[in-house]
Amino acid sequence: MSDDNVLTLPLFPLKNAVLFPYLGLPLTAGRPISIAAIESALATEEKEILVVAQRDAAVQAPSREELFEVGTKAVIRRLVPLPTGGVQIFVQGTLRVRVGELEQATPFITAKYEPAPVALDSGADVEALEREVKDLGAKVLSLARPQTEIDISQLAGSEEDRLRWLYILASLMGLEHQKAQELLAADELTEGLRLMHGYLQYEVRVLELRQNIASKVQSEMTKQQREMLLRQQMRAIQEELGETDEAGAEVELLRERFDKADLPDEVRKEAERELKRFARLPQASPETNVIRSYLEVILELPWNQSSEAVLDLAHARKVLDEDHLGLDEIKSRILEHLAVQKLNPDAKAPILLFVGPPGVGKTSLGKSIARAQNREFQRMSLGGLHDEAELRGHRRTYIGALPGRILQALRRAKVNNPVLMLDEIDKLGRDFRGDPASAMLEILDPEQNDTFRDNYLDMPFDLSSVFFITTANSLDTIPQPLLDRMEVLSLTGYSEEEKLGIAKKYLLPRQLEQSGVRADQCELSDETLARIIRRYTREAGLRQLERVIGRVLRKTAVGFAEGSSEKVTVLPDDLIEMLGPERFHLEKARKNMPPGVAAGLAWTPAGGDVLYIESTLLPGGSGLTMTGQLGNVMQESARAAQSYLWSHADDFGIDAERFRKEGVHIHVPAGAIPKDGPSAGITMATALASLYCAKPVQSDTAMTGEITITGLVLPIGGVKEKVLAARRAELTRIILPRQNEADLHDLPNDVRSEIEFIFVDHIDDVLRAAIPEACRSKKAS
Amino acid sequence: MKYDAFEEIGGGLEFVPRADVYRTPGGWVVKFDLAGVKPQDIQVEVRGSVLRVVGVRRDSFIERGFRHHSMEISYSRFERSLRLPCTGEGASVTTEYLDGLLIVTIDTGE
Repeated sequence: MSDDNVLTLPLFPLKNAVLFPYLGLPLTAGRPISIAAIESALATEEKEILVVAQRDAAVQAPSREELFEVGTKAVIRRLVPLPTGGVQIFVQGTLRVRVGELEQATPFITAKYEPAPVALDSGADVEALEREVKDLGAKVLSLARPQTEIDISQLAGSEEDRLRWLYILASLMGLEHQKAQELLAADELTEGLRLMHGYLQYEVRVLELRQNIASKVQSEMTKQQREMLLRQQMRAIQEELGETDEAGAEVELLRERFDKADLPDEVRKEAERELKRFARLPQASPETNVIRSYLEVILELPWNQSSEAVLDLAHARKVLDEDHLGLDEIKSRILEHLAVQKLNPDAKAPILLFVGPPGVGKTSLGKSIARAQNREFQRMSLGGLHDEAELRGHRRTYIGALPGRILQALRRAKVNNPVLMLDEIDKLGRDFRGDPASAMLEILDPEQNDTFRDNYLDMPFDLSSVFFITTANSLDTIPQPLLDRMEVLSLTGYSEEEKLGIAKKYLLPRQLEQSGVRADQCELSDETLARIIRRYTREAGLRQLERVIGRVLRKTAVGFAEGSSEKVTVLPDDLIEMLGPERFHLEKARKNMPPGVAAGLAWTPAGGDVLYIESTLLPGGSGLTMTGQLGNVMQESARAAQSYLWSHADDFGIDAERFRKEGVHIHVPAGAIPKDGPSAGITMATALASLYCAKPVQSDTAMTGEITITGLVLPIGGVKEKVLAARRAELTRIILPRQNEADLHDLPNDVRSEIEFIFVDHIDDVLRAAIPEACRSKKAS
Repeated sequence: MKYDAFEEIGGGLEFVPRADVYRTPGGWVVKFDLAGVKPQDIQVEVRGSVLRVVGVRRDSFIERGFRHHSMEISYSRFERSLRLPCTGEGASVTTEYLDGLLIVTIDTGE
C-alpha cells in the first residue's frame, strides 16, 4: 500500500482461479502475455502486478470486457523457471482493486486501477452474521478436511482480520472460482458474509450428503466384508484346531455327487434337506457322521441303475450247462422264467426257493443264473439271523445304525436288478427281538416289495427288479406264508454217475489247480473216482467228494514237490494206502435172509439208504417191542402193519391166536441213528408177514410205501434218492406205490433200465411180489 | 486452483525479518536481519514494551536490460513487532544499520 498513487500496472490474466488480498497463490504462466507481464513487473523495484480473473478460460488474450472488474494487486514473491519454458510465480495479494481501462494489450496487458478496499461495516446484525459464518465455516472445514485442525476463530484479530479470515476460509474451502470472484466483488463485509453464508450452507449440505453416501456404501461393504472375515477367522480357527476346512469341501463334494447322481425326485428332495442340515452342523457334532453316512448310503444305492439283463436263451442255456451237470428240471424252469421276461419285460422277477441237501450246488446254481442273464450276484446267509433289524435296518436315531442287509447287498451290487441269493432261509431264527421271517414276507412279496421301506433309509426302495433266490435244506422249518410266496425247486442228490461226471468235469480240475499239480502229472481213472465216491463218501452233495479228491492230489503233490517228475496214475487199490481203510461199507444186499427180515428204503438229508427191518417172535411174550430209535410215526406204522396182518390173518394162513400169544420185536439197524417217517409201512408189514408165515422175503427186493390199516399203499417222497440207494446196494427189484410212478422221470435212464420196478396199490400186491411163497400158501388156503 | 500453503498464510501479509535479542549491561540490543533494505526505508518505533519495525525492501539492483530468471528474495513491505521484557518508556533508543543488519540499542539506564 506504499505506492497507491501508481495507478498503472502490468496485468496477469487469471484462468479458473481468484487471488484474494492477504493471501498467497502459486501461479503458472505459460502464455507469452502472462510471461511478459511478469517480466515487466519484476523489472520494477516493487515487483507489483495486477491479478485479474478472466471470464472465459479459453480466451488467450482477453480484452477489457473479458476480464472481471474487481481484481487484486499483488507482489511477486518467488519466481521459478520451468523446464517447459514457462515460469511459476508465487504471488501475494496486497490490495483489492477496481480495474480501469487497459493501457496496452501487447506484448502484455497493462491496466489502470484504483484501490477498492472493502467497507468494514459493523453492527449487531453483522456480528451475528460473522459468528454464524464462523460456526458454519468451522463445520465445513471439519467435514471437508477432518485431518487438519484449523481454528479459524484464531485467525481473527484486528479489524482488518475480519475480512482476512473470510478470504482464508474461501481459500480453504476450495471455493469454485465463479463464487470466489463474487466474494471478491463484494464491496461490503456484510455482503461478503452473506455470500459466504450461502456457500457454506450449500457446502454443508453437499458434504453431509457425501458423508451419508460414503457411510452407506461403507456399511454395505462392511456387512459383506464382516461375513467374509468371520468365515476366514472360522477357517483359521478350525485349521488351528486341526479341523481344517474339510467340512466345507466335503459339503461341496457331496453336493457335486448329488448333482451327478441319478435319483428319484422325492429322494433328491429328502437328500437336499439332509445335505443342508449337514452343511449347517459344526463338524465336531456327533450327528455329522450320522448324516454323512446316511447321505453316502443314499448316494450309493442303485435307485435307477440297472444292468442290462441279457435275455438270450441260448446263451443262458449254454452258461447253465457249462456250470452244472444234470439238474435238467431246474435249468428248464430257469429258462422258462427268462423266456417270460423276454416276452414281458415288466413281469415281476421270480422268487425261487432251492431246496435240497447240502453240497448239491444250490449256491453255485444261483451264481450261474446271474451269469446266464449277466446280472450282478449278491449272496447273504440268513442262517441264525434272529433280529429283524438285520434285514430291515435300524432307525437312524440309534448310534451305529446301518441299513439292513438287503439294502447293503444292493449297495454292493450297484444295480437294482441283481440276483440276490438268501441262503439258509430255513435256518432263520426268531426271538424277542423280532421275527425276521415275517420281515422276509414283505421283501419276498412281489406285490409289496416295490415299496420296501428300510428303517434306516426311511424311504421306499423298489425291490421288484431283484431276482430273489433263496435256499433251504428242508421245507419243514419255513413258515407257511413265506413258503407260499416262493416257487420251490428241489435239488435232489446226485446219482453216482452224476457225481462221477461232476468230479471229472469240475471237481478234479479245480482240485488239481488248487494243489498245484498239473493235469498231465496225475491221473485218476474213472474206477478210482467211483471207488472214492462209493467207499469214501456218503452224501447227497459233493463237498466231501471234493475234499477227498483234494486229499488224494495232495498226497501225490508230496512226490512232485520232492523232485519226482514221473506221472502218477492213482488206481482204485492205491486208495487204501492214500486215504486209509474204506470208510463206508454199503449196506450190501443181504443174501439168504431169514424170515422176518425185509429191505426198506429210507430218505436222509445225505441221500437215500437201504434199511433192513428185522423182526423176531418172542414166544410167551406179548405186544410189540420196537427198538432202533424209531420215531412216533414209524412206530405207528409198525402197529398199523401188525394190525392189518392180524385182521387178515386168515387170508395169509396165519393162526390169529399167535398175535395174542407171542410177542414181536422189531429192530431197525443201525441202532444209533434216529429214524422216523411213514415210508417204512409196507416194509414192516412185509417183514411181519414173512415172520408169521416163516417164509423169507426175496432178497433182491427193496420196498417203500406208506400203509393204511385197510392195506392201501400210499405214496411217499424221496423216490430218486431211495432208488439210487437201492441200486448202490445192488438190489434189482423195487416195490413202489403206484402213485410214485411219475417220480421215476427224475432218474437217469441207465438206472431205470437196470432196475425192475413194481408198482403197487395194495399190500397184497407187495406181499405177492416180495414173498411169493407166502402168497402161494395164501392161495392154497 | 487450490491453494494449500499454510505457512504463507499464517506468516501474514509481508515477509518477516528475523531478529536476535541481547541482554546488555546497559539494557537491550535487538538485531534484525534486513539485508538489501535501504536505511531510509526502515521505521523503528517503541510503544510501551513493544518494539515495531516497519519498512519495505525494494529491488534497487535491477537495471535496464536485466531480467529475472528466478527470484527467491521477497521485495515487499515488511513489519516485525517484538514484545520486550522491559518497558521502553524513558529509555533512549538508537538505531544503527551495519552490513545489512539493523541494530536497535535500548538503553534503560540500569
